[in-house]
Amino acid sequence: MRRYFRLYLHFLRFSFSKAMEFRIDFTFRIVMDLIYYIVNILFFKVIYLHTPMLAGWSEEQLMVFVASYLLVDAINMTFISSNMWWLPQHINRGALDYYLIRPVSPLFFLSLREFSANSFLNLLIAAGFFSYTLFTYSHPFSFLELLLLLTLLLNGVALYYCIQMLMIIPVFWTHSSRGFIDLFWAMGIAMERPDRIYQGWLRKVFTVILPFSLVASFPARLFLEKFDWETFLHLASVSLIFWMLMLFFWKLGLRNYSSASS
Amino acid sequence: MIKVQNLTKTFTSHVKEPGLVGSLKALVKREIRTKDALKSVNLTIEQGEIIGLIGGNGAGKTTLVKILAGIVHPTSGDATILGFRPWERHNDYRKQMSLIMGQKAQVWWDLPALDSFILLKDIYQIDDATYKYNIEFLAETLMVKDQLRTQVRKLSLGERMKIELMAALLHNPKVIFLDEPTIGLDISAQKAVREFMKNYQREFKPITILTSHYMEDIKELCQRIVIIKEGEFVYDGPLSDVQKLVGDEKVLNVTTQEESFKINVPRSELSQKTKEVLEQHSVLDLNIHDPSIEDIIESIMRNGVGAS
Repeated sequence: MRRYFRLYLHFLRFSFSKAMEFRIDFTFRIVMDLIYYIVNILFFKVIYLHTPMLAGWSEEQLMVFVASYLLVDAINMTFISSNMWWLPQHINRGALDYYLIRPVSPLFFLSLREFSANSFLNLLIAAGFFSYTLFTYSHPFSFLELLLLLTLLLNGVALYYCIQMLMIIPVFWTHSSRGFIDLFWAMGIAMERPDRIYQGWLRKVFTVILPFSLVASFPARLFLEKFDWETFLHLASVSLIFWMLMLFFWKLGLRNYSSASS
Repeated sequence: MIKVQNLTKTFTSHVKEPGLVGSLKALVKREIRTKDALKSVNLTIEQGEIIGLIGGNGAGKTTLVKILAGIVHPTSGDATILGFRPWERHNDYRKQMSLIMGQKAQVWWDLPALDSFILLKDIYQIDDATYKYNIEFLAETLMVKDQLRTQVRKLSLGERMKIELMAALLHNPKVIFLDEPTIGLDISAQKAVREFMKNYQREFKPITILTSHYMEDIKELCQRIVIIKEGEFVYDGPLSDVQKLVGDEKVLNVTTQEESFKINVPRSELSQKTKEVLEQHSVLDLNIHDPSIEDIIESIMRNGVGAS
């Protein structure tokens, strides 16, 4: 564990020194992400001009939810997403070779090697907005409830990562350039909507099959509303199953890895 | 020790006709082609030994190396190295093994070599003293002391290969796979890499499997060679005995007004054949010599054993 922590510190150091070299990209990314945040917030603000409640939440509550998924997104963008971008190419071009021969988990290496120093500032902004919505939230909440929200959001990051991985792992067989990751990005917007707006089979899709609603909406609901075990257990069990599925298919993929010849 | 038993690897791939029609056809019905990259090969290598693995492109050299390095799973058969099954990727195995591929870089391009080395130090849990000694020793013998702080992508190909060698040897591996270490290097860099490996082998006695297209590498480093052809070992034995494979044969080198050519002739027919050549051509130059190791290996790779 300590060794992995040390390795991660190296990753951080490399990423920051690399990012400093490309300053234009640095500012560009910050501006892009800021626009993304503002669009997301305004989208819901506009809706609340027409209705006082949406999916059972007031505007103030909904902003906690928006801040939650923006935070999950920022964490994902900063720590994980660059790695997900490279992974299919590594698999196809045979660049996994050097990760597989090291006495370290290749999954750890391939998932966390690229830290996006460029997105780090955005993570601070997202965290700032998240804190702001909680500070201004008019209902009182306990420290324990806050801790639960944070834990569930971290779980949301892990789940979000698992879904991405499950879309990428088929590359071991298809050798396509991106796997099903486009599906992930097309459906990913489901994460940015309160889960209650989905009913019937669509609800099953987003809470079980592609559980985007569990990433931020379920945690926000458990925090904003009365805690209920059913929602919590649903969230916990689907998350666990997805984690195990991801590990299972990852191992299966490695078995099938043919390593493009040099 | 490396012990390989009946190791087989079969790759399957889809055959697709070119163009849009071909793609549509492939959607409906796919023709699957299988290719045997390795056909039940057996091999035993003792500690301290270095063997040369020779074969044409696609003969199965790299597949064998990748299976033994634990990257690729075999289709059937077994292998143990230092008591481990490589593709189970046990950490205790991976800590004692190293792979150097001339065509795939392992150090990070955007970073100075030293940064990559520090990462490797933590990956392999190399203690401070060993790490310091190895950096000093390897940089000294490879003569790259001044290049360690430069971003790797700014180095020449030869310097980069030396950095790759350093990166691969920092953790004192007991098993080394060298896949085309001199590919693309100029003569002096090739020589430097060869010289280094020779000394390294003598001093640290790892098991080394070397694949190379350059016979110089093989001749310089290996006493034992394995020739692989279409997934099968056609020769496994001392390099010096390769000559025996072709029996008592001589090579006639002939230069005429129009062309120059080579004929392999059994010694018994030598005078007869020479006479014929002299009668049929207006010969400018003619000499008779023993086939070189290159000639023999080339002939084996083309025609198989005993058919030269």
